[in-house]
Amino acid sequence: MPDTLLFILVVVPFIAALGLYALRIESLRMVLVLATAVLLTGSSLALFSHETVAFSTTLLGVNPQPLIVLLDFVVLFIILAVGLSAKHRLIIYLAGAQIVLLAIFKLVSPAEATGQAMFLVDPLAKLMVFVVSVVGSVIILHALPYMKNHEEHLHLTTSRQPQFFAVMVLFLGAMNGLVLTNDLGNFYFFFEVTTLCSFLLIRHDLTDEAKANSLRALWINSLGGLALLIGLLWISLDLGTVNIQQILAQTPEAAFLLLPIGLLCFAGLTKAAQLPFQSWLLGAMVAPTPTSALLHSATMVKAGVYLFLRFSPAYSGTFFSTTVAFVGGFTFLAAAALAISQSNGKKILAYSTVSNLGLIIACAGIGTPAAIAAGMFLIMFHAVSKALIFLCVGTIEQRIASRDIEDMRGLYAIMPVTAIITVLGALTMILPPFGMLLGKWMAIEASAHNILLVIILALGSAITVLYWARWAGLLMSYPFKGRIYPESQPALTRLPLLGLIGGALLLSFYAPAIYNSLIYPAISALPLAMVDTVPATSWGILVLDRGSFPVIPLFLVAALGLFAAIYFYKLAGKVKPTGPYLSGAQTPDDASAYAGPLRQSIIPSSSNYYLEKIFGEVAINRWVNTAAIVLILLMLGGGL
Amino acid sequence: MTSAQVFLALIAALFLAPLAVGVLTGVDRRITARMQSRLGPPILQPFYDIGKLLGKEPMLANHWLAFCSFLYLAGAVTSVVLFFLQADLLLIFFVQAVGSVFLVIGALTVPSPYSQIGAHRELLQIIAYEPLLILVIVGIFLATGSFKIEAVYAMEQPLLFKLPLLFLVLGIALTIKLRKSPFDISASHHAHQEIVRGVYTEYSGPYLAIVEIAHWFEIVLILCLLSLFWSTGVVGLVLLLGITYFVEILVDNTTSRMTWRWMLGTAWITGITFSLINLLWLYYG
Repeated sequence: MPDTLLFILVVVPFIAALGLYALRIESLRMVLVLATAVLLTGSSLALFSHETVAFSTTLLGVNPQPLIVLLDFVVLFIILAVGLSAKHRLIIYLAGAQIVLLAIFKLVSPAEATGQAMFLVDPLAKLMVFVVSVVGSVIILHALPYMKNHEEHLHLTTSRQPQFFAVMVLFLGAMNGLVLTNDLGNFYFFFEVTTLCSFLLIRHDLTDEAKANSLRALWINSLGGLALLIGLLWISLDLGTVNIQQILAQTPEAAFLLLPIGLLCFAGLTKAAQLPFQSWLLGAMVAPTPTSALLHSATMVKAGVYLFLRFSPAYSGTFFSTTVAFVGGFTFLAAAALAISQSNGKKILAYSTVSNLGLIIACAGIGTPAAIAAGMFLIMFHAVSKALIFLCVGTIEQRIASRDIEDMRGLYAIMPVTAIITVLGALTMILPPFGMLLGKWMAIEASAHNILLVIILALGSAITVLYWARWAGLLMSYPFKGRIYPESQPALTRLPLLGLIGGALLLSFYAPAIYNSLIYPAISALPLAMVDTVPATSWGILVLDRGSFPVIPLFLVAALGLFAAIYFYKLAGKVKPTGPYLSGAQTPDDASAYAGPLRQSIIPSSSNYYLEKIFGEVAINRWVNTAAIVLILLMLGGGL
Repeated sequence: MTSAQVFLALIAALFLAPLAVGVLTGVDRRITARMQSRLGPPILQPFYDIGKLLGKEPMLANHWLAFCSFLYLAGAVTSVVLFFLQADLLLIFFVQAVGSVFLVIGALTVPSPYSQIGAHRELLQIIAYEPLLILVIVGIFLATGSFKIEAVYAMEQPLLFKLPLLFLVLGIALTIKLRKSPFDISASHHAHQEIVRGVYTEYSGPYLAIVEIAHWFEIVLILCLLSLFWSTGVVGLVLLLGITYFVEILVDNTTSRMTWRWMLGTAWITGITFSLINLLWLYYG
């Protein structure tokens, strides 16, 4: 049975992608996308019913290894061809080096590595598959009406949607493969497939900017791929195995292996767009919004942090681990600070993603059971909330033709439903009792013994509140003028938004149950060197050895407060509205304007503080990137 | 805690503590007036103010103001209740942040320049004091080994002796949170510093009353945090709170409002340096 599920999760998307590419009829595409989404969601949920860790050597009786080897080379040669046609030296060298190294690896790799324990279904993999398949599917469904609008807007003669949806679906399959595989060689293959997919998705619109940014994404991720391949080759030569579980079992004794593990982590840093590699993720926002949503929430960057969590037992309790925590923590703070200076909504989201992933990596570096649990919580809640906000921004952008948050001022008056969902999404990122804050709370409590790190996290946490609260308030900022009616939207636009916000709230509410059934088994199975009590739950209260978070009681209080506030909001609806305070100089006919010189009616305007002189990209990019490089060198050196 | 204790704690948190703070702000206004060579209002003036505001006709420039003012109150009350139930300090801190965030969102819902600028300044105040409060809580953790309040009460020595610098850091956060000079960036009590009340500008009538009551609860929470530094005896506790609050009033009346840049710089550089030194003492001490 797990065999069939694995087949559906990993191979079916590849087949569906071929189908989507070949069938160029819109109705068939919708059916195929819907069917894939349903299959993936169903299988990822069905995977939870398999309690025990399941190994699988073959897929439905077939050994896919030779096919994977072939495809691996195909992917690398495609990347090489891209480099050659774009005359991009760096990509050519990186792809060429990988082809040579991969050939060497395939020649010298231990025979027992192939065909044995190819897949591993453990709680961490289940969590990741859930994030990839469910959130990813919702994003692809939302993309159906979105891409239609998008192409109408661009006036294309031939639709490029077949390619687009094929790559999106392929991406999900590759991500599922990446988190389920137990063979580091296959891990590398899926890693490269996600690199290629992201390249194709970023350059989808074929503008000059899109092409340039996609090449940047390709070379940065190829650099990560090369590091991963070197680490892989090193480990297989040293240990004689590429079985991830065996590597993890051996590493605590084999301390000299920290350098190749460091190379794997370096690959994770490029994929998770950590400083100084953030530029590819920021450049990725030229792509249609569903692409950004997918890259930021369910796939791609999550592969990077997954790598850190998966290999956390390999470096737990070492100096290397401490440096990982600082690399992540620094990115958490620096990216949050950079987000303050942005007014482009997608750029704020991009920095926020980089920042949150930094926090997850910091959790992996802290390495106590509570910290790893926090990291897993953050992966899940971040995926849901970030996907939601991205889809909201995409929906808003198609309506107001801007992604600048200043243009979203007073959005509530135009799109009340979307505006409220966006505000709620922003609040789930920063406030209790929601899951993101639960994760942040656990991370800070777990890091409290590391004084420098906790200072960094405290600063980052406060700054995060600033840029989200500012955005949330601005969406509701409108002069009161008569009744506001809910906007109408296609079902496939509205339902994914409602589903994701519902999911964010429900998952937060069920956080204790999720902890018990999924995260607790995951962290208690990890052979971590940092011995610490494993958190427990009772009565919906999450209890650490040093503190407690009453999730469900807080939810009840929050619900009570919310109902009271809604009641008084309704009551206030009967109050006659007035204009804003304008020093008593209001014009008689328009309450939101004042009588200026020569009795002209002037509507005052104000904009956000962006503090560009302090937190602007120009002001601090150079410094934070240098600091990040120093920290990464420290990290790699810590592996020596 | 037994159920009787929980009941008493709820009564104290919901009624006694805010009433006491109401009286305290009355005393505050009296002392401030004397420092400014005025007679000052009666001690119970804050209650008369609230009563008068509640009786006013509600007027709103945006209905979400009503919504946000109630959530501000809800966040502040919940954090105080959690403190009296001796919950996790870091959690209490995050719950009070809910209130602050809704105060800002409410102010942002009205496109009036006064309210907008006030809201942004309030956000800057939040990023100035939040890291400091987290670090004070981390200091308490390093001294007691737990984030739970009950661990503080189990201490035999007052925390003040172990966390002298963090007490000063808390003082900075307290000044910002109490909206006292020189950190009264987003809303000032002093007429000579402000024409319109920044982040409070658009809250009016009964909704302003709710915001004021919520602010009392916030003061309760900050004073509770201060009280943790002398948990071993009532006399010492009252003295510590009294002296600290008097110093706050003194500072309020002898300094003038500074710019937000200065506030952010001072709060972060002084606050974090002091915290770092004190945390290092705890870690290696």
